[in-house]
Amino acid sequence: PSHSYTGQGGQESEDYESEEQLQHRILTAALEFVPEHGWTAEAIAEGAKTLGLSVAAAGLFHSDGSELILHFVSECNTKLSELLEKEQKLVQLGEAQKKPIDEFLRHAVEARLRMLIPYIEKWPQALSVLLLPRNIPSSLSLLTSMIDDIWHYAGDQSTDFNWYTRRAVLTGIYNTTELVMMQDSSPGFEDTWRFLENRVADAMTMSNTASQVQSTGEAVVQGLMGAAVTVSNAESSRAVT
Amino acid sequence: VRLWRCRCPALLSRPAGALRASRGLAAGPEMHFGFQTVTEEERREKIYQVFESVAKKYDVMNDSMTLGIHRVWKDILMHKMNPCPGTLLLDVAGGTGDIAFRFINYVRSVRQRQLQRKLKHNQNLSWQEIFESYQKDKFNSLGDSQVVVCDINREMLKVGKQKAQHLGYSEGLSWVLGNAEELPFDDDKFDVYTIAFGIRNVTRIDLALQEAYRVLKPGGRFLCLEFSHVSNPILSRLYDLYSFQVIPVLGEVIAGDWKSYQYLVESIRRFPPQEELKAMIEDAGFFKVHYENLNFGIVAIHSGFKL
Repeated sequence: PSHSYTGQGGQESEDYESEEQLQHRILTAALEFVPEHGWTAEAIAEGAKTLGLSVAAAGLFHSDGSELILHFVSECNTKLSELLEKEQKLVQLGEAQKKPIDEFLRHAVEARLRMLIPYIEKWPQALSVLLLPRNIPSSLSLLTSMIDDIWHYAGDQSTDFNWYTRRAVLTGIYNTTELVMMQDSSPGFEDTWRFLENRVADAMTMSNTASQVQSTGEAVVQGLMGAAVTVSNAESSRAVT
Repeated sequence: VRLWRCRCPALLSRPAGALRASRGLAAGPEMHFGFQTVTEEERREKIYQVFESVAKKYDVMNDSMTLGIHRVWKDILMHKMNPCPGTLLLDVAGGTGDIAFRFINYVRSVRQRQLQRKLKHNQNLSWQEIFESYQKDKFNSLGDSQVVVCDINREMLKVGKQKAQHLGYSEGLSWVLGNAEELPFDDDKFDVYTIAFGIRNVTRIDLALQEAYRVLKPGGRFLCLEFSHVSNPILSRLYDLYSFQVIPVLGEVIAGDWKSYQYLVESIRRFPPQEELKAMIEDAGFFKVHYENLNFGIVAIHSGFKL
């Protein structure tokens, strides 16, 4: 539905903005307040205030902050795609070297994880919300499309992986590195990047063994179990403090 | 007593003409008052008299009619609103203050949690700074939240004020005499507008909705808690039985006034069902209008935003 939106200066600008677009703007504005308020309706209320709306506009969304988190994840994925697209163009124009596959994966995962740094304190809370049954379809689809994106830009170098294995391997790498990052207190997260380097190297050597499919599946399952345990520990420790 | 028993079955078939008048639109000077047909002015007066006479026993009757469940409904409404400190609430037809008191309690506890969190972050401040922040926050237990209770009926407001005094509510609360069809407030003032079990008694619902739209800030929320229509046929029969047989009798026994409670039950049947009310709210200009049935439709919460 279209409507006229009264701008902050009191002038009527006939911005035919849909409800979706307005909700997007509120969520984007709310991100600024997440480090202080967490992924909550309060952050959304503060975001709405900066747009000149009433704090009651936070009622447009769930009180557990699901939409805010999903919005953030989707924005990060978009930013990653744009970054990789830009770099691919540079390679095609001959202005940059094409990275070998392991370096490319490391670079992409690191770039994506770095986007979490401003929100790292409240990220465990976000992960636990993303694991709610209600949110799993959306969060899972965002994750898989991001992984697929990275592989798309990685090119066809890896002919010894089949498609599903590739997806599972990179998902495992991404999830485990994310968890390590949340508990990493080293300067500049260097421990996390080293962990990432090792995991990618493992994946490369794994591709040479025949049992890679089975072990990858096991690794992914273990990764997810570890994720669930870590998140629930983080949640309970947060509840205690 | 025989009179109303004979009247009900015939009128339950709802003649079409009377139904049109029940839309609350000025289709003509004829309006409904329960199952009677009256003019607009007569309706306003009759309703005023109903609430004037029930005011003192209003809360007791609510508890006995709904077996205390109205408290849960109002709690759910507050939970749905989820107000944060700093919210300005207008509670229309708020009479005896049920919603207003719940709002104050809710906002106070949210504020306390906020302050506790702030305190945890302030662990590295000097004593002087901690003392200063304490001072600033101590006198702000509601975080600047305010609720204005507006009602057309002086008696209901009186009972509300007495209750507030008795229960110890003073901060952030004000009482205004006013008509929902013509609110004595400026445009774009309030964050949330609620009307709990009141819109049924408004003679021109469309005007009330337009006024609600006017006084809300952009981004503000409209919330309406009201009796609605039960679609489940078995439940509907039981509900009708209870409504027409038990409630007026309770009214006579507890409040000495079966006519008022007869009106109440009839007005519930005359009120537009969920989808129709949703359409009316959308007509007033609200977006993202949706409703939630409580207890299979005995009560519904409608919500809309001024975007």
